[in-house]
Amino acid sequence: MAGMSSSFPGTVTSSAPCVAAAPGSRHSLPQGAPRLHCKASFGDLHATFEGMRQSNIVDKIGKLADKPNLASSPPVAYQQRIGRKAVRQAVVMTRALASGGESKNILIMGGTRFIGLFLARQLVAAGHQVTLFTRGKAPVTKQLPGESDEEFSVYSSKVKHIQGDRQDFDGLKEKLTGTGFQIVYDINGREGKEVEPILDALPGLEQYIFCSSAGVYLKSDQLPHLEVDAVDPKSRHKGKLDTETLLQSKGVPWTSIRPVYIYGPLNYNPVEEWFFQRLEAGRPIPVPAPGLQITQLGHVKDLANAFVKVLANEKAYGQVYNISGSKYVTFDGIAKACAKAGGFATPEIVHYNPKDFDFGKKKAFPLRDQHFFTSIAKAETELDWAPEFSLVDGLTDSYNLDFGRGTFRKEADFSTDDVILEKLGTKTVVAA
Amino acid sequence: MALSQSLASLVLIPCSSSPSSSSSSSSLAVAASGQTFRLFLRSGSSSSSSFCSQFCTAHLSLFSSFLTEQHQRNGLRSVERRAAGAAWNNVVVRAAAAAAAVQGQGESKKKVLIVNTNSGGHAIIGFWFAKDLRAAGHAVTILTVGDESSDKMKKPPFSRFSELRDLGVETVWGEPADIGALGLSSFDVVLDNNGKTLEVVKPVADWAKASGAKQFLFISSAGIYKSTDEPPHVEGDEVKGDAGHKIVEDYLAGLGFESWASFRPQYMTGSGNNKDCEEWFFDRIVRGRPVPIPGSGLQVTNISHVSDLSSMLTLAVEKPAAANGSIFNAVSDRAVTFDGLVRLCAKAAGKEAEIVHYDPKAAGVDAKKSFPFRNMHFYAEPRAASTKLGWESKTNLQEDLKARYEEYIAIGRDKKDIKFELDDKILESLLTPVSV
Repeated sequence: MAGMSSSFPGTVTSSAPCVAAAPGSRHSLPQGAPRLHCKASFGDLHATFEGMRQSNIVDKIGKLADKPNLASSPPVAYQQRIGRKAVRQAVVMTRALASGGESKNILIMGGTRFIGLFLARQLVAAGHQVTLFTRGKAPVTKQLPGESDEEFSVYSSKVKHIQGDRQDFDGLKEKLTGTGFQIVYDINGREGKEVEPILDALPGLEQYIFCSSAGVYLKSDQLPHLEVDAVDPKSRHKGKLDTETLLQSKGVPWTSIRPVYIYGPLNYNPVEEWFFQRLEAGRPIPVPAPGLQITQLGHVKDLANAFVKVLANEKAYGQVYNISGSKYVTFDGIAKACAKAGGFATPEIVHYNPKDFDFGKKKAFPLRDQHFFTSIAKAETELDWAPEFSLVDGLTDSYNLDFGRGTFRKEADFSTDDVILEKLGTKTVVAA
Repeated sequence: MALSQSLASLVLIPCSSSPSSSSSSSSLAVAASGQTFRLFLRSGSSSSSSFCSQFCTAHLSLFSSFLTEQHQRNGLRSVERRAAGAAWNNVVVRAAAAAAAVQGQGESKKKVLIVNTNSGGHAIIGFWFAKDLRAAGHAVTILTVGDESSDKMKKPPFSRFSELRDLGVETVWGEPADIGALGLSSFDVVLDNNGKTLEVVKPVADWAKASGAKQFLFISSAGIYKSTDEPPHVEGDEVKGDAGHKIVEDYLAGLGFESWASFRPQYMTGSGNNKDCEEWFFDRIVRGRPVPIPGSGLQVTNISHVSDLSSMLTLAVEKPAAANGSIFNAVSDRAVTFDGLVRLCAKAAGKEAEIVHYDPKAAGVDAKKSFPFRNMHFYAEPRAASTKLGWESKTNLQEDLKARYEEYIAIGRDKKDIKFELDDKILESLLTPVSV
């Protein structure tokens, strides 16, 4: 399933966002209406309109010409009825869409915690209309570290918000019905069933962009993971996999992004935070032996960038992309890179065998004790995207804007470290 | 040798031509044994030139097998003696090359010289590269270091060089230091798959430049990359400053070839391999012995099928502008862990394998001798080849190992009496009983 490209009939070759509904899909025309297949002929505009979703463009054109809803009219009569002027205007709009220049009405599920914070800003800056759907637990807008007052003011004046609990499926559907969002970025979805109310509420949806996870890949002796690799139906990220499968079955144009470990300012997952806390405390860093397990970190801003690249990008329809850093890194390497980023001396790394310990529910190390990394070559080739941050540069960004300023998400807890160090007979060095 | 006398005349190979299509004519001057043969070719549409190419290739295989019987196998001088008899061979080869030159999208066919090492892990590269080049219609000469009569020539791939000659590859022997005196003609492309130091490559590179080669390719090594905490090794990463291969690369960059490139391989598998790779694992698995793996077994390395290298090299020959000035990691697109490799070999053999981890120091063994691969992450990715040449890896390690296992059994290596002294020492240090 991973990497399967959907073949939407008559998908346009330009980057126009509208895609014809797959026959039989939930996005086909209302009952009684003639089914639009992309070979619908609009006279000499045939080529221009090929692949356009009728209910979207045609509705707009209908409004332009102040004509009744044309969804129920046979395509052939369309041109005759609305006249040349409206058709010309439609052509103009088509060309704007084709060049990808049109602003989109975008819904972000999430947007106030981590990835969405950066993504929403990039989308607003690109001229799109962005609405965040959150429970409102976190402030809808909060100035980011490093963000100027002016930037923040512009952003907070433009971004919109819908308050609600996405787990309340009926409520969610009700709140989204009639909103006309063209694009959904689902940043915090976990289970397939969470997608349905959104799709039900937004029949005009042009693209559903999902934040999945490289955690769906089946563990392998051969690496890196490529998008075509086997996935693990029993993984902890089963819900992400189910969501991808469901999207594929629904016929809506969808794109899935699979990050590995995300890092950057405001990270709520203790990836770099865990290392920085030990470095700041002058403590040795306990790493599961042998310390040369290879993993991959990706900066959140590079991830947000990738999300923007897939927007209305026809190449990305039905595709999954691994998005992370350009180079991989060993566990020992992360410790050293964090030290460099924060201006610390080379850390003392202590290797231990996790099997010799029972920490109960506590995690002694923030990362999976295995090789875990992906190739980002597909995204680089197809999306014209590339990570901008090298590991040390990215960790420096995170340290300077967040963890090095004394801010953190999780209180430092060295209890498991002490258990390890005591058993290994290593003296701890506690900073004065 | 009487054949050469019969060639002292104009050779015209007619190609079927469609009168309406545009025709181009190629004329080649072939010098051999002091006589000049001028060869004219007229080709029409691409379909007719492919016929012409097939026509020539048919001639080629006929005469090449004829000439094989004529070849004398006694070293350097035979090159000169063979030159006369090989004149027709050369002519037909070039005819095929020229014919193919006008077909397709105007891709020109090249005359390629492979200077090949006579032993070691890289020997197999020249063998496969020669075959790939012939399949693509290029003319190939492979110069193997040393003497044709040497004992080294009894091992693969050299023991299979008749396969190359059957394809029209010219096989010659000699010393690269004397390359100018071997009676070789000039080539469009020269590959040095032999030298590890400037001392050995310089004569070849200098001669290639002086004799007008447009493209120079070099087989370097991914072993020159400095070890890193951030794998994989990618082109452009720091290398060890004193590495011989690096010094060669720098020298080539300054020689002024129209196109030059360096290829850094890792470990290879494939039929005709001169050095053990997966055999080390099969030796133990097929005898039901535990497989001793140093360290955690999580170390990753890259085992590529040699055809990935030959396809990458061929692509560089066909896209010299794109390849120019570039380092290419000549590896497949996947790495494998040591433990993972044991599992893949076991699956290829259809047997179970027992992995035993050990610390070389504690066991009192030198890991360089007790294990076939560097005891560390040794992992490069072929990023330059993908982006610059549009190259794609075809290595499927599981399938490739299955094929290699079949060969392993076919030559009876599973019955070979092998002493596992170091293994036994390791196992003893771990007090692991070995079931015989």
